[in-house]
Amino acid sequence: MTVHVLGVRHHGPGSARSVVLALEEVRPATLVVEGPPELDAVVPLLADAATVPPVAGLVYDVAAPRRSLFYPLADFSPEWVAIRWALSRGVPVRFADLAGRHLLAPEPATGDTDDEAAGRLPFGEAEEPGTTAPDQSADGPEAPGSEESPDGSGAPEVADADVRQDVVAVLARTAGYADPERWWEDAVEQRHADVLARFAHLRDAIAAVRAADPALSDAHNDRREASMRTVLRDVLDAGDVAVVCGAFHAPALDPRGFPSAAADARLLRGLPRTKVAATWVPWTSARLAASSGYGAGVEAPGWYRHLFETWSTGDALPDPRARDHDVASSWLVRVARALREEGLPAPPASVVDAVRLAESLAAVRGRPAVGLDELTDATRGVLTEGADLPLAVVHRRLVVGEEIGEVPAATPMVPLAADLAARQRSLRLKPTATSSTTTLDLRTDNGRARSVLLHRLRALGVPWGTPADDTRTLGTFKEVWELEWQPELAVAVVDASRYGATVLDATEARVAERAREAEGLAELGRLVETCLVADLPVALGAVVDTLAEATAHQHDLRVLLETVEPLARTVRYGDVRRTDSGRVGALLTTVLARARVGLRAGCQALDDDLATRTRIALESAHRGVALLADPQRSEPWFRALAGLVADGSVHGTVDGRAVRLLHDAGRVDTGDVAARMSRRLSLAGDPADGAAWLESFLGGEAVLLHDHALLEVVDGWVSGIGDDVFADLLPVLRRTFSGFGVAERRRIGAQLAGASRTGETVREVDDDRALPAVLAVARMLGLEVAS
Amino acid sequence: MTDTAGPTDTPTDPGAGTDAAGVLRPPAEQAFADELAALERLDDRPRPPKWRLSPWAVTTYLLGGTLSDGTVVTPKYVGARRLVEVAVASLATDRALLLLGVPGTAKTWVGEHLAAAVSGSSRLVVQGTAGTAEESIRYGWNYARLLADGPSRDALVPSPVMRAMQAGRLVRVEELTRIPADVQDALITILSEKTLPVPELDTEVQAVQGFNVIATANNRDKGVNDLSSALKRRFTTVVLPLPATLSEEADIVRRRVASLGAALRLPADLEHLAEVERVVTVFRELRSGVTADQRTSLKSPSATLSTAEAISVMTNGLALAAHFGDGRVGADDVAAGLVSAVVKDPVQDRIVWQEYLETVVKDRREWSDLYRACRDLDPA
Repeated sequence: MTVHVLGVRHHGPGSARSVVLALEEVRPATLVVEGPPELDAVVPLLADAATVPPVAGLVYDVAAPRRSLFYPLADFSPEWVAIRWALSRGVPVRFADLAGRHLLAPEPATGDTDDEAAGRLPFGEAEEPGTTAPDQSADGPEAPGSEESPDGSGAPEVADADVRQDVVAVLARTAGYADPERWWEDAVEQRHADVLARFAHLRDAIAAVRAADPALSDAHNDRREASMRTVLRDVLDAGDVAVVCGAFHAPALDPRGFPSAAADARLLRGLPRTKVAATWVPWTSARLAASSGYGAGVEAPGWYRHLFETWSTGDALPDPRARDHDVASSWLVRVARALREEGLPAPPASVVDAVRLAESLAAVRGRPAVGLDELTDATRGVLTEGADLPLAVVHRRLVVGEEIGEVPAATPMVPLAADLAARQRSLRLKPTATSSTTTLDLRTDNGRARSVLLHRLRALGVPWGTPADDTRTLGTFKEVWELEWQPELAVAVVDASRYGATVLDATEARVAERAREAEGLAELGRLVETCLVADLPVALGAVVDTLAEATAHQHDLRVLLETVEPLARTVRYGDVRRTDSGRVGALLTTVLARARVGLRAGCQALDDDLATRTRIALESAHRGVALLADPQRSEPWFRALAGLVADGSVHGTVDGRAVRLLHDAGRVDTGDVAARMSRRLSLAGDPADGAAWLESFLGGEAVLLHDHALLEVVDGWVSGIGDDVFADLLPVLRRTFSGFGVAERRRIGAQLAGASRTGETVREVDDDRALPAVLAVARMLGLEVAS
Repeated sequence: MTDTAGPTDTPTDPGAGTDAAGVLRPPAEQAFADELAALERLDDRPRPPKWRLSPWAVTTYLLGGTLSDGTVVTPKYVGARRLVEVAVASLATDRALLLLGVPGTAKTWVGEHLAAAVSGSSRLVVQGTAGTAEESIRYGWNYARLLADGPSRDALVPSPVMRAMQAGRLVRVEELTRIPADVQDALITILSEKTLPVPELDTEVQAVQGFNVIATANNRDKGVNDLSSALKRRFTTVVLPLPATLSEEADIVRRRVASLGAALRLPADLEHLAEVERVVTVFRELRSGVTADQRTSLKSPSATLSTAEAISVMTNGLALAAHFGDGRVGADDVAAGLVSAVVKDPVQDRIVWQEYLETVVKDRREWSDLYRACRDLDPA
């Protein structure tokens, strides 16, 4: 009936190795692991061969899945090693910690901020309680537990939360070790052959730390340890117990020092509670790294994995020096292979030299064995020839690692996640932890199905893929996606599951909801596009209904104009996707008609800002009309534009653009345009309005290059402006002309300078200089030349 | 780094060396003989064969510190400890060391001190130039003897490399990339086989333990005679960066100017080396193309503007002030040196410098004396 408390460093390979040795010696009847008891139900899944670490226990609030906790386990985590040991021997595993149902319950008291919430988490990662913004892209739960002191320089100044989180690292730092694993090996492992004595000594050391500063433990920590003790009391009767917990808690879990059960029960009484669910989700090495913001993260998961693997295979080596040598050489071999894949030579002879350099460096630095610092310096000095850039590859691929975990199919999943997994399988789109680019051919069934799935997930708020080229969403059969599966997407999936049980249903419901909440026709227009690319017939109906209704209520010309382009794209390219766009076409006709009718009235009495907005809307609508290539629709549109420009009172910005659009379409000839321009730019008019007109007209391609008549009008106007007004107009003119390319500006300048204003003819011929050439040609023609 | 050494206690009375009286610049092992002796006396750590000091002591010698008997070791290199450790560790593994960096990043300086600390002598040097021949890396012949006695050991004129091999010492190869590629290749056998064959005598010179090569190369010159990958592979590369911060760089300049000034018997006016900060600021700003406050971007001149040049500007200013001025280094004294350091290309750099003067220097009120001094030199 003894309790063996194995206080560990979370994700410490050294701890993991000691834990296995200890378990072999103790052979407990029950294993207790730090973690929320909700995970008890799913723990057998970790025995499944299909479970590949890193995985994370996920505990989430059923009502609000964004409130969630993660308990990551890597293959070198002591918890993982202990659980696997127990499961393979039929030893029951219990999780012991403050239950997730209390941790995740909304705090009734005010003043408990999220930052604190993260600080009091065991070794899990807190998901920020979701905001209500429906389309907020889940770009990563930044664990707020990043209050870790940046360089760990001032050991006495570390926050209490850090001490609780990683007391081993604090002890190591106090002893002058940069790497806690190194310290663990030197101070814990090498000193005591008896593995249980190692843990006992560590527990005593931490008991001393805690006794010296009782403030290290707060009310929350007391509650957590009370919960752990409660579980321990529960399993004590069944025989020996081994407890794997964060080293900080080790002294509190020694039965000799247990307070009464009633005292613990009192601590846990009356905590708020909520309904939670627990499961396992795949995790990635990158998310284990401390740099990703994970509070209990480690600096170098890949390096720790390497240490753990080399140690577990190298335990046969009796000499610790040989083991260390093995760690260094096998690491540098992996580095060299990674560098070779990137095209660097990294020959084996250099690897040998690098190993020797690393070992001699450790000696110079007075370190007991080669560490990651030495290996990195040796890599830089020998393998990358002093360059830092290739080291980034080493860091990403080896020091951090690119592993992504897997969970077995039987893992409890929300139905949506199960559906998504089935689809990923059937479409052979496997989630990867690294960013990869996929090009889809929409002419094939598989390509279209993949595209639809990715578009649906995007609409659903699970941004697994992002379009690499956002400019052409519809007009092509080729789509390029950047795919990267972030572990927190699992939460996004759970969160989205409230919309439906399958990807299709959930997306339909989600888009329909967004349509109801949409604030404006433009957003609805975009939703129509989403419906098409994501193949959502039901939602499309809902969106079009909402859109039709919103159009009827909409009087703002600009909004109507802005709606035209997305609708036109839908109608034009709907065929590529084999979607029915008939209703959209009808709607487009309505919108266009209303925009046409309101065009002139809507362009009256505009101030500068509104005029600019109108100009942009007008351009977008014009693009939409041009896209349709349908005379039935474009004819009335051009008539409406012509009506607009006939009205002399329209703001220069809008009028200039409308004239330009008509000019480009060949609806007004150059003479007409020159007349309009000259009218607008005449000295009697408002020069500011003239400048706005000019800017608007000339924007885009350099029309002046090809049209001398227009150029002369502009030239004449500019030369005729008075000095004072010119100074005022200069910024606008400069802005206009700065829109052109350098070559275009130079040519315009050259034309104005008179070099070729009149075309290619040369006006004045220098007879003396031309004479030799003329004579030569004459001789070639056989003409008689008078000398 | 326990840098307790102020600029004033830089040990450099050149007359102190026994046989170095009147020498402009005594070699490192003489200038710092006291420190080396103290380190040798107190150093109880294991030393690699033929090393005068243990790797730890070499590192201390370069980076400075206070020894157990109170001897203060001045820092020779101000910069990352990591770099020096890698360099020393590399020499300890008998792998050659290549110090890379732009001019003025103390490559030669570090190489010299490493050789002095490890072998007790920094005088085995091959100065790399475009005209460096194979004889200066391998061996030459004493032709009089060769003709008289035929090929023999006595007729051989050993190169510094060969002598280092025989004696088990460090040899320095300066400006390795300036040496023609075919001559560079002579080093490959020496570095990998540690032997130097003498086919004419059907013999070879084998390197004794303790032999190693420290090469320096300028990475601005890349491509002059870039190292072949076979050769590069035999070196541990350590890139010496430009000083990271203004205060670090100003500290280096101040330290070196003080020691050079002492060597040139210039009255060291250390309190008034305030100009150092300004000169270093100008150099850093022009080099990085942005002002210290990150507000204004600047054009960079074609000159390298290394720390070494800042040192020479300051030394120059010190000489001017000592001989023609009142002994206090002021704006007038550094202005000429500053302009000539920056304006290397009379057209391009001049524009850059004028822009800098007008947009940056002019606007700094406390710099008005420097602005005036520079304008006076170049009224254009």
